[in-house]
Amino acid sequence: MDGAPQALHPVPLCRVDELPPNGARGFDPLGQGRDALFVVRRGDTLRAYRNRCPHWPGAPMAWRKDGYLSPDGGHIVCYAHGARFDIDTGDCVHGPCPGQSLQSLPLIRRADGLLLVPRDALDLRTAS
Amino acid sequence: MNIVGLDALVFGVDDVADCARYLIDYGLTPVDTGPDGGRFEGLDGTAILLARRDDPSLPPPLPTASTLRKTIYGVAEAATLDAIAAELGRDRAVRWLADGSLESVDDLGFALGFRVSTPRPLTFAAEAANAPGVSAQRPVNALGVDTNAPPPKPRSLSHVVYFVPDVAKAEAFYADRLGFVTTDRFTKVGPFMRPAGCRDHHTLFMIQTPPFLQGCEHFTFHMGGPTEVLAAGRRMVELGYQSFWGPGRHIFGSNWFWYFNSPFGCHVEYDADMDHHDADWVAREAEANADSSQVFLFQARELWFPSGPPPAKTA
Repeated sequence: MDGAPQALHPVPLCRVDELPPNGARGFDPLGQGRDALFVVRRGDTLRAYRNRCPHWPGAPMAWRKDGYLSPDGGHIVCYAHGARFDIDTGDCVHGPCPGQSLQSLPLIRRADGLLLVPRDALDLRTAS
Repeated sequence: MNIVGLDALVFGVDDVADCARYLIDYGLTPVDTGPDGGRFEGLDGTAILLARRDDPSLPPPLPTASTLRKTIYGVAEAATLDAIAAELGRDRAVRWLADGSLESVDDLGFALGFRVSTPRPLTFAAEAANAPGVSAQRPVNALGVDTNAPPPKPRSLSHVVYFVPDVAKAEAFYADRLGFVTTDRFTKVGPFMRPAGCRDHHTLFMIQTPPFLQGCEHFTFHMGGPTEVLAAGRRMVELGYQSFWGPGRHIFGSNWFWYFNSPFGCHVEYDADMDHHDADWVAREAEANADSSQVFLFQARELWFPSGPPPAKTA
């Protein structure tokens, strides 16, 4: 991507077929130096969450690039302190932040397969 | 109770292969390892022991997300094991395992092991720095940076940090039953403790948390100096691992630090140049916050060179 994305324009992430069929991928669409969000794909179902564990303000969750899921692929895991989250809802189901949820982000899926996230959903004031 | 320090930490995990790769990339040396885990040693032989979560030889897990299954302390002689067995046997089960070690639990439910351990003596120099006002620490023409040197290796298991639901009870157990000394304390958070036979500022730090968080916050190996912390951490970033906090330098303990996320679901740290203390030391206390936790903090960025293209003209 050349230059900073323009205000109000959705920010492109990638094409759906560039996501692992059953897995996660992190994105740094604003060039902040670390992934601001991640997308989980399970077949045709997509979910996007901010890369920020509710247990610890600003805590990045993966243990390595794109390492957001449990080894069996069944949960999102924060590898800072081991919290587990439901992939569909983002709700914490085990570990340090019971009753809290990941912050979900809306995804725009264009007919040509390009995935975008609304620029205002990436609000820098709350981005980790 | 002449406990001399940490000997090993035992983890039970879902994905042994990911954790093994992580420990090797971190710089530990695999010893007797295989698909079910094994031993990953620092240079002095202190180690992380990796096993499958359902390995029946492990003590039972905490009822939380923690994957730490046992903390093993080293003692210098068998008589100390007998003394620990007698002390802990007064009010809890103590088992002698086939390898000659002891197994029991602390007052919070963390499994403990004790074994006679003789870490390999290390003969490496610490990082040497030349400075005005002191005689040179490196011989003339000896270089401080060797770009062809292999990645620095963790030298010795430094400390483990627990999340605990009752920090006063935990501190009392380690002080009264095992002879640990509190070197410093964060108010309403917890103590930094060292066993009687160890001069390091802490081998154990405990943090008060709700019960559902109980477990291991991080573990750390000592590196040879701040340059090794930065070089090893830089390498972890290049390998794609997620930096969590650092690099920086703590105030309590004075140790340089760099923390990473890990597939163990806890943080893994490099440290260097920790303070040593003895019985003359008087514990300090401070509120835990950003100002009291670090004297400075940096964050990694991509390597860069200042003389890039000339700056655009400004009005």
